[in-house]
Amino acid sequence: ESVFRGTADLDSLLGKDLGALRDIVINANPAHPPLSLLVLHGLLCQRYQVLSSVHVHSSVSTVPPPLLSCLGPRHIESYARQRFQLGFTLIWKDVSKLQMKFNTQSMCPIEGEANVARFLFRLLGAEPQDPVAATQMDFWIDMAVFQLAEGGNKERAAVLRSLNSALGRSPWLLGQEFSLADIVCACCVLRAGQTASAPANVQRWLKACQNLGHFDCVYPLLQ
Amino acid sequence: MALNLTINSSNPPLGALLTAEHVKGSVNLSVEEGKDTMLHVSDQVQFSDVNSITRYLARVAPALGLYGSNMMEQTEVDHWLEFSARRLCAQSDLSSALGDLDKALALRTFLVGRSVTLADLCVWAALKGNGESQAKPNSYPHLCRWFSFLSSQVPFSSVGSKWASKISASKISTIK
Repeated sequence: ESVFRGTADLDSLLGKDLGALRDIVINANPAHPPLSLLVLHGLLCQRYQVLSSVHVHSSVSTVPPPLLSCLGPRHIESYARQRFQLGFTLIWKDVSKLQMKFNTQSMCPIEGEANVARFLFRLLGAEPQDPVAATQMDFWIDMAVFQLAEGGNKERAAVLRSLNSALGRSPWLLGQEFSLADIVCACCVLRAGQTASAPANVQRWLKACQNLGHFDCVYPLLQ
Repeated sequence: MALNLTINSSNPPLGALLTAEHVKGSVNLSVEEGKDTMLHVSDQVQFSDVNSITRYLARVAPALGLYGSNMMEQTEVDHWLEFSARRLCAQSDLSSALGDLDKALALRTFLVGRSVTLADLCVWAALKGNGESQAKPNSYPHLCRWFSFLSSQVPFSSVGSKWASKISASKISTIK
C-alpha cells in the first residue's frame, strides 16, 4: 500500500486528457543515475497505470545492465498505449544536466533532478498544503542536491549534521509524515556512500526508509 | 501573524526584496536592514536562503499566483529558481545560460504562464546582480526585451534603483 493517501486525479492535475498518452521523457546521464526519480517512478506505478521504458541514446556507448532494467520488466502490452494513464520514458544520454520534457507545447524543458522529483511528487498529490512544511521540504531537497551530491567533504559533513539533528526530533524530515524530502535526501546520502559513517539518527532513518520498500530499486544501482 | 524579513544590506538579496514588494499588500510583512538575510516566520521557523524565502512568501499569498497557477507552472517556476541560483550566479561566462533564457523568452512575455511569477523575479534579480552587462541586445533580443519590460515597472524599478547600486559597490569592494 502506498504511504501517500492524496486524492490525485490526472485530469485535474494536468488538464483534460486529449487522447494521447501523457509521456514523461527524462534524459539522464548514466554516470549519475537519478535514484530519487526511480523511487518516485515506483510510487507512481502503485497509483497509476504507467507505461515505462528505458532507451539508450546514441551519445552513450555502453550502459551497465542494472540501468537498463531499472524501471522493471518491459511491458509486453506496450502496443496498447491507450490502456495506460502515464508514460515514463527514461533515456540514458550524455547530458550535463538531467532534463525532463513533458507537454512541450506549454512547458519549457525542466532541468535538474530536484525539479523533476518535485514534479513527479505533485503527480502523487502528496505535497504538503501548509506553506511552512512545503517550503521546508523544498529546502531539504535543495540542500541534498546541491551540497550532498555536489559539495566537498566539509559541506557533506555539515549536511549530515543538519539531517542528524532534524531526525533526532522526529522520525521523518518534516515530522510525522514521510515526504519527498526523505526520498531525495536518503538517495543523496546513499549515493554519496556515506551510509556506514553517517551519524546514528541518519542511520536509523535510512533503515526506516529501506523498510518502506520504495527504495528497493535503488540498491542494485549502488554497486 | 507578522512576518519579518531582515536583509543583509551590504549584499542585498534582490529576489527576496522583489518578492516582498509583491506580497506586501496581501501579507503582514516588515522589512529591515541588518547583518544577515533571514525571514523570521516564528521562533521555531526561519528561512535564510533566498529560494526558501521567496517560495514561502509566494505560498502565503496564493492569490497573487507567484508560484504559477497549476502544477506544470509550479514546476517551471522551480526550474527557473534553480536556474537563477545556479547558472546565472556562475562567476564565468554566462553565454550558454543567457542563450537558453533568450530561447525560452522568444514566444513569451513572462517566463511562466501569463503573469509575473517567482521565475521572473528571481531571474531578473540574478541578472541585475550579475549578468546584466553581458546581455547585449543584438545577441539576446528576447531576453533584453523581457528585461527592459520588467525593469520599467514598479517594483522592479524601485528595487533596482534602491539596491542594485549597493550590489555593484559590494562587488567592487570584494575585488579590491
